[in-house]
Amino acid sequence: MQILPFYMVCDESGSMAGEGVDNINSALPELHQEISTNPSVADKTRFALIGFSTQASVLQPLADLSELTQLPSLSAGGVTSFGDAFRLLKKTIEKDVTDLKAEGHDVYRPVVFFLSDGIPTDEGWQTDLEELNSFRYAPKIIAFGVSDADTATITEVANFKAFIQQERTVSPAMALREFASSLTRSIVNSATNMSAQGGEGFQLQVDEHVPGFTSLSLDKL
Amino acid sequence: MSAEDGADVTRASFTLGDRVGSGGQGEVRALSDGSLLFKEYKDPSKVNGGALADLVAFRQSLGQSDRSRLDSLAAWPLCRVVEGNRVLGFLMRRAPSDMMWRTAAGSTKLIELQYLIRPPKVAWQEVAQPTPQQRRALAVACAEAIGWFQSAGLVIGDISQANILWSLTPGVAVHFLDCDGFRQVGRAAVQAQAGTPDWNDPLVPSTEASVDTDAYKTALVVGRILAQEPYVAPGQELKLVTGCLNDRQEGGVRRLFSQAAGERGTRPRPSEWQTALSDRGTITLTAATPRPRPAIDHTVLDGARVRTPISLRAPGQ
Repeated sequence: MQILPFYMVCDESGSMAGEGVDNINSALPELHQEISTNPSVADKTRFALIGFSTQASVLQPLADLSELTQLPSLSAGGVTSFGDAFRLLKKTIEKDVTDLKAEGHDVYRPVVFFLSDGIPTDEGWQTDLEELNSFRYAPKIIAFGVSDADTATITEVANFKAFIQQERTVSPAMALREFASSLTRSIVNSATNMSAQGGEGFQLQVDEHVPGFTSLSLDKL
Repeated sequence: MSAEDGADVTRASFTLGDRVGSGGQGEVRALSDGSLLFKEYKDPSKVNGGALADLVAFRQSLGQSDRSRLDSLAAWPLCRVVEGNRVLGFLMRRAPSDMMWRTAAGSTKLIELQYLIRPPKVAWQEVAQPTPQQRRALAVACAEAIGWFQSAGLVIGDISQANILWSLTPGVAVHFLDCDGFRQVGRAAVQAQAGTPDWNDPLVPSTEASVDTDAYKTALVVGRILAQEPYVAPGQELKLVTGCLNDRQEGGVRRLFSQAAGERGTRPRPSEWQTALSDRGTITLTAATPRPRPAIDHTVLDGARVRTPISLRAPGQ
């Protein structure tokens, strides 16, 4: 079976307290519901949830969503260490891909939906990002910035697509729900375009435009 | 509204309600009065309006009983929706309410073939699974429906786990979706369309659809239903669900499934699946020996011929 792993990597620093984490937490059952009740999509995708603040943790290890009956919730506190998130992501992806291959699966390049509401508080996170982007299972990263996130930073984190919240038109709450919906659509549409046996290839499907967000150009010079 | 007589309707003549679904080609929304659905194409410039009119006309050409049969088997395009010269989409009926299920979270979803061809999971335990006998009946219903479309001169094209609905109540029934992907034999398709991954005939590109690719996909439908295995394909071993078939049926199904791996033109026809899956026994017929042909006297038949030119200009030119 061809498997496409998705990683939702969420900022749960102190600034996400209250509405921030609440909105993501309440969007997760909808994501689970949509994917788990669509078995042909669930078959070909796997989902993991990573939260990061002062440190990063794998809240939900990579799993078939239709096998899950509960998901750990995000809980806000601490500062925003991007470096920790990227290091953990690299280590986790390396292990997950190796495990999936050992189970006999062919694994597509993993996809990361990254969300932050602020600017990184750690030094040297660019080095960790570079290492993530240059290792053999380097993921495709779609980065979303809400609230105080900085356009240049979000653009730097992304290597596939980047979106920043349109502050004047939507609330952070709405933007967070749209982030989760965009991830759901990406999982469904990508899996629907993907053959279980390989052969015809497929293209990762990510929204060109996400309601409430401005798409950022990734043309880096 | 001319959903009944098939005449075009203008986009301005109705108001829209909720969005029901979306796909690669467009999105489906309910009309505000709830009676019908509107499939609106994302890119009307890619739509062959004539081919869509052909599909609408096909339904209108049927007698009452065949039209009822078509309506029970498929969400057929009832009439085109136009704006000026542009064809925006078409109106169709909603899928039968027996072919929907309610998730634990309360949302409504269609009972697609995907829930029939794999072992059930807790996440969709609200979809009632068939008994082995009902499973066989559903496979027969699919073969019968495809056979009916074929005998009506139609190519289905994208037969897949998402495009066939099924139900067990009030009786076993199936219903085809995305019928603007159908075309009449010898006619153009409404839009160029690739088949669904995992549902393609390996011998032709996924954008090509014919009676023969339909025959291959019929084997996928029947085999996957009876084996409850979503990726099994002709050429592979069929592990049939226990209790679905008797020995005769099982033998016939295995033979036809492996026959479907053969060259184009040799795949089993829908009627062969119906016979193999039938409750009735079969009678082996002894083929009559053909009468010997009489000897041909070439001296009589092959005489000198007179050929004259045929004028290709109309008289007077």
